[in-house]
Amino acid sequence: MGDQVLRTDGLTKHFGGITAVDGVSFALDSEECCALIGPNGAGKTTFFNLLTGELEPSEGSVEFHDDDGWHDLTGLAPHETASAGLHRSYQITNLFPTTTVRENVRVAAQAHGNATSRFWRNVDAFPEYVDEAESILERVGLSAKADDVARNLSHGEKRQLELGVALAGDPDVLLLDEPAAGVSSESVDEVVDLIRNVARDHAVLLVEHNMDVVMDLADRIAVLHQGELIADGPPTEVRDDDAVQEAYLGGYDPDAPTASDDGGDGSGTTGEDGGGVA
Amino acid sequence: MAISEPTDAPDDGATDADGGTATADSADVASETATGEHYLVEYLRGHVAHAFVVAFFGLYPFAHTFLTGSLVGAEMAMFLPRVQTMITVFYFGLFAMSFDFISGYTGYLSFGHSAFYGLGAYFVILVANGKVPLLGSGTPFMVLLLLAGILAVVLALLMGSVAFRLTGVYFAMITLGFAQILYVFFSNWDYLGSNPRDGIAVLGRQDGFSIGVPYVDSLNMSIGQLQGDTFTWGMDFAAMTGIDALAPISHTIVLGPGEVSYYMVGLVVLVCYFMLQRIVHSPFGRAMIAIRENEERARAVGYDTFRVKMGAFAISGFFGAVAGGLFTGYRTSVAPENSFYFLTAGDALLASIIGGFGTVAGPLFGRLFHEGLHEFLTKEGGGLLPYLRSQLGEGTLNTVIVDGFTVAEAIEVFLNGRAGLYIGLLFVLFVLYVPNGLLGTLRGYLGGTVAGQVAAAVKRRVRGWKL
Repeated sequence: MGDQVLRTDGLTKHFGGITAVDGVSFALDSEECCALIGPNGAGKTTFFNLLTGELEPSEGSVEFHDDDGWHDLTGLAPHETASAGLHRSYQITNLFPTTTVRENVRVAAQAHGNATSRFWRNVDAFPEYVDEAESILERVGLSAKADDVARNLSHGEKRQLELGVALAGDPDVLLLDEPAAGVSSESVDEVVDLIRNVARDHAVLLVEHNMDVVMDLADRIAVLHQGELIADGPPTEVRDDDAVQEAYLGGYDPDAPTASDDGGDGSGTTGEDGGGVA
Repeated sequence: MAISEPTDAPDDGATDADGGTATADSADVASETATGEHYLVEYLRGHVAHAFVVAFFGLYPFAHTFLTGSLVGAEMAMFLPRVQTMITVFYFGLFAMSFDFISGYTGYLSFGHSAFYGLGAYFVILVANGKVPLLGSGTPFMVLLLLAGILAVVLALLMGSVAFRLTGVYFAMITLGFAQILYVFFSNWDYLGSNPRDGIAVLGRQDGFSIGVPYVDSLNMSIGQLQGDTFTWGMDFAAMTGIDALAPISHTIVLGPGEVSYYMVGLVVLVCYFMLQRIVHSPFGRAMIAIRENEERARAVGYDTFRVKMGAFAISGFFGAVAGGLFTGYRTSVAPENSFYFLTAGDALLASIIGGFGTVAGPLFGRLFHEGLHEFLTKEGGGLLPYLRSQLGEGTLNTVIVDGFTVAEAIEVFLNGRAGLYIGLLFVLFVLYVPNGLLGTLRGYLGGTVAGQVAAAVKRRVRGWKL
């Protein structure tokens, strides 16, 4: 484990009378892959939005650590947290649909330089962003699709590109909001491999409903329930926690065979998810 | 598809024709530039489509004179827009381009864009009438265009700081509100002239407005329907008229005020086009497109979208005001109705939709289409109506179609003053069946920007092509 790279203190968000995130104090280490789980409506996505600045917290703080020490990110705009090194992917694919796959990543990489203000230079004068895009596409396995228009990709490829766009600009922290959402059970392993690859050189905070994916990837699991952090620890410990079982897992047992899991390949099955989400 | 950039453009097309792969082709381009082939050659090669378009417009007045004087002169006069119509296509086309620059590239519909056009238009006349403090009525026109643009940048930043707090239809409404405030203000401000509602005209400046190098008389040409210069080929300042005029002019040809205005206004519009095109293909332009495509994600990957939008709006306002300045420079009069009124922006929207939303040159072609059709359907400048009246014999005209309704009456009912009706119908059809507009559809068909694809195609077809 490395040093802490991101921490929140008493992070709270009220929407009118509803408290979506309630006094969450959480820290992420620079070399870990932490999974954030919880039932629908637990406040996971709101928590992400508070971290990236898409929402402003009602109370509490968000701090980010880089080479110069801790920086307060509380209340900063999304582009400022992104520049600081905090990138996210989206649960519902959120790309630049009519541009090419390469341009999707290239324009994301460009956001992290000072080229954008140079409106009199041709974009070809900045090949470094194209190079960065090419290497990211190779990493997420989309090199062959670089010239395709983003909206023509298959769902699985869009999920890969979603991650590729988040990788552009060399972030320190990746917030991945259900990267395997909607991916067929046969392809989940590829997504898991990709995240594992990415987690080698990024701190990753992962929201995921598929418990097999979570158990496979996470060094640590944090559980949100009704806006509160009810558990935070190593996977096995969290899995056996009574409160977590009560709130979310609903009797999840990774070793129990299920109807669709006869191959024992560890991929997600609807039975487990459905039980937890309901 | 729609936004393929030049780097991709050759790649897309090069897959089979050359046998070369995409990467090989782009490497080819890179190595040529790297091996130090003359930059100008490289540049011209990349702008074949532009050269064709410039040649077309450059030859147009001569072609028009020639064709309308030929055996089929009457038919040609019916179909071809007059040179003076082409001048309005130029300056209004520039306005439509500036409108499309913000609306088509960032997705923010600037429905109050007429504010910039009106500002530029009024500014030029007010200075010429000595009504602007510190600026003498003789200030060179080119300086006025620049100042009008800078003034519009200030207005754009002011409007944008309010309007960019909102998106979608609310943004459009806020900009419209600004334009209407200015419209009412300029309709009622007594300082402008005795009857501001009817507009104002240039009073104090008899020599008109000239385009060229400011403060160097020999490098200027006056524009205007009446005050415009004439030009005889063979004088030293031939080079000054630029690419537009060079190719077709022989020493026997004399250009009247209309043709001189055509070339000079066209020259300014050409320069503005290349500036806009350059910006669109810059990193800044890519950020604008990213905002149009998905503003939430653009923000999330690190773009200060508010700043990019403000910058784009300011640039757009600048060129909108330059267009307005050209308009009054040529017409020497302006009224609130044809400048600040919101339907001016409506016409720009029409031009953009017809020509291709989110293309640089599309709006100019859209305006050409609109004006050409308008002239074809109206009596002015030789259209369908006078053509039919003069060409159909008395007997045909008096033929009864049904129930005492003659051909002449039918022509009257269906053609006289009905241009707006047909253009409106055509607009509906365009939106339904050609939603990407003329240039946008061509771009989709070619698989990249028209300029980029044409250049790539020429390069493929003409092997070892050297200039």
